[in-house]
Amino acid sequence: MAIIQVQNITKIYNHEQVPVHALNGVSMEIEEGEFTAIVGPSGSGKTTLLNVIGGLDNPTEGKVLIQNTEMFSLSERKLIDFRLHHIGFVFQAYNLIPVLTAKENISFILQMQGRPQKECNERSMELLKMVGLEDKIDKRPSELSGGQQQRVAVARALASKPDFVLADEPTANLDSVSTANLLDMMLRLNEEEQITFVFSTHDQRVVERARRVVTLVDGKIATDEVRTENNIEH
Amino acid sequence: MNLWPVIKLSWKNVWRNPMRSGVVIVAVVLGTLAGIFSTGLMNGLSMQYIRNQLETSVAHIQLHHEKFNEESLPRYYIAAPDSLSAELELYEFVESKSSRSVVQGLASSATNTFGVTIKGIDVKEDSTVSTIHTYITEGNYLEDPSRNPVLIGSKLAQRLKVDLRSRMVLNFQDVEGHITAGAFRVAGIFDSPNSAFDEANVFVRRNDLNRLLGGENLVHEIVLLVDNFKNGDIYRDSLAQNFAGVEIQSWGDVSPSLRYTDSNVDFMLYIFMTIIAIALTFGIINTMLMAVLERTQELGMLMAIGVNKVRTFSMVMFETLFLTLVGVPVGMALSWLALTWVGKVGIDLSAFADGLEEYGLSPMIYPELPEGYYLNIGLLMLFFTLMAAIYPSVKALKLNPVQAIRKV
Repeated sequence: MAIIQVQNITKIYNHEQVPVHALNGVSMEIEEGEFTAIVGPSGSGKTTLLNVIGGLDNPTEGKVLIQNTEMFSLSERKLIDFRLHHIGFVFQAYNLIPVLTAKENISFILQMQGRPQKECNERSMELLKMVGLEDKIDKRPSELSGGQQQRVAVARALASKPDFVLADEPTANLDSVSTANLLDMMLRLNEEEQITFVFSTHDQRVVERARRVVTLVDGKIATDEVRTENNIEH
Repeated sequence: MNLWPVIKLSWKNVWRNPMRSGVVIVAVVLGTLAGIFSTGLMNGLSMQYIRNQLETSVAHIQLHHEKFNEESLPRYYIAAPDSLSAELELYEFVESKSSRSVVQGLASSATNTFGVTIKGIDVKEDSTVSTIHTYITEGNYLEDPSRNPVLIGSKLAQRLKVDLRSRMVLNFQDVEGHITAGAFRVAGIFDSPNSAFDEANVFVRRNDLNRLLGGENLVHEIVLLVDNFKNGDIYRDSLAQNFAGVEIQSWGDVSPSLRYTDSNVDFMLYIFMTIIAIALTFGIINTMLMAVLERTQELGMLMAIGVNKVRTFSMVMFETLFLTLVGVPVGMALSWLALTWVGKVGIDLSAFADGLEEYGLSPMIYPELPEGYYLNIGLLMLFFTLMAAIYPSVKALKLNPVQAIRKV
């Protein structure tokens, strides 16, 4: 069953009074448990598509349905609340809260949802263990490497048990070893926990390991390739 | 809505940049300290002025013959003053009283003449309502057993060019309306904080004055000190119900300028404090705006992951609140210590004594501030700092998460 339905999305920006078509009639569906890479050259609309799917940016035309809820029909307050409960975000620059420890960064989301402190602690510990950082619970972002920070960011994105995780170029700031480790972890979470990942990337190493690769060119889907076990590089 | 995670985050954000937060806290501390101390100083000055006036000349409540205030003639004396005085003693709020004979006259020396109010007092009784005896710089408080001693102010002594033991003549009307005069010898010279009072008042023994006025037990004025001078009007009304035939005035009735000073002290103090708070507000706006602008990316991320507008707004407001809550109590504590200490030792402004005395002020200033002011000033500071936080908070709300996240 499709948890994300993107229906004929057009996004036009007015850049210095010149309309720029960032997305041009994009339609796609993403099933639960998919591991999807959105690829394409710079300016092809990858980030815009993720922002629209994540409810951060309104499309000029079209609809986005998440679990059959039409996101942009929600009020602003409800949309923010929807993001809090249904979507996990991972950003290129990690974007952890610098004054909080790794554990606090994760439990912050749960506290925002009003979960009891005990549950917040247990879930944070569970997630840090899941991303292999159980020994870094009390470290602040400045005390972690880029790869470790991004793993905390993934753990934070998973904290609320979202319907899916959106990651905008999650490996862009990582070295090759950290990139490989992060990918291994994401794939493991995808396989073992059935977590749906949708991410944009430029990185060929990431593309090679994706289960599905959607290529955008000039705001349109150029190709949409679903891979089998045989043509995925491990 | 659960704001607790946001409150905790705000507290941690305060200490994200300890130097900057420290500067703001120090500014709040100094602002509070300067504001409260200056307010205490101004309040001390005002209260001192009021007390000086009350304790040297006005007292808290005055009783006169009904017509005495229209025409200060000696024939308008209080009938049966002893029984009236005895009845006044029955009131719990009356702490002390003094009966005086009062007449307007001329004080003449060999070289000069000056218009004065002559007050005939019972030395022992009057020292319970007036502090004039504490300002005697030469001689004594009419304790000279010789006939007709007079206590005069230093300013009048200069005008008349008289010294201690000099002779002078007091001219005035007697109760029959005839001009009479008496020769007096200067037994004491006082120098109160009110030079205008020193210039225009002389004190003699009541018996001496009454003998010249032509009566034995003449009393033109009964002055009272009550337990709290602020209640002067209430006590006046209470007395007025039971004493017909005399005019009863509170200190505010006798001296409207004092009443005005007293009623405007609060207003002036809060205006002064508000000016300081507004100055501080701009510093806080600047700091919090910097705190918001340098965290654009982080705020964008928080909004993206589901921190709603109320929480974002609250976060910046709480950060400001915490800065204030750290700074204001410290500032209040330091102000209290400073005011308590300086209130005991005083500020010596002897160098400006002449100028101060022209305004009825002592050269030693003792700052004072009732405790209620501390709370009010604290709340005032809190109010203004929270007002200062609104603009940065609104600025944070207006961030577009998509643009903010990409901002480097």
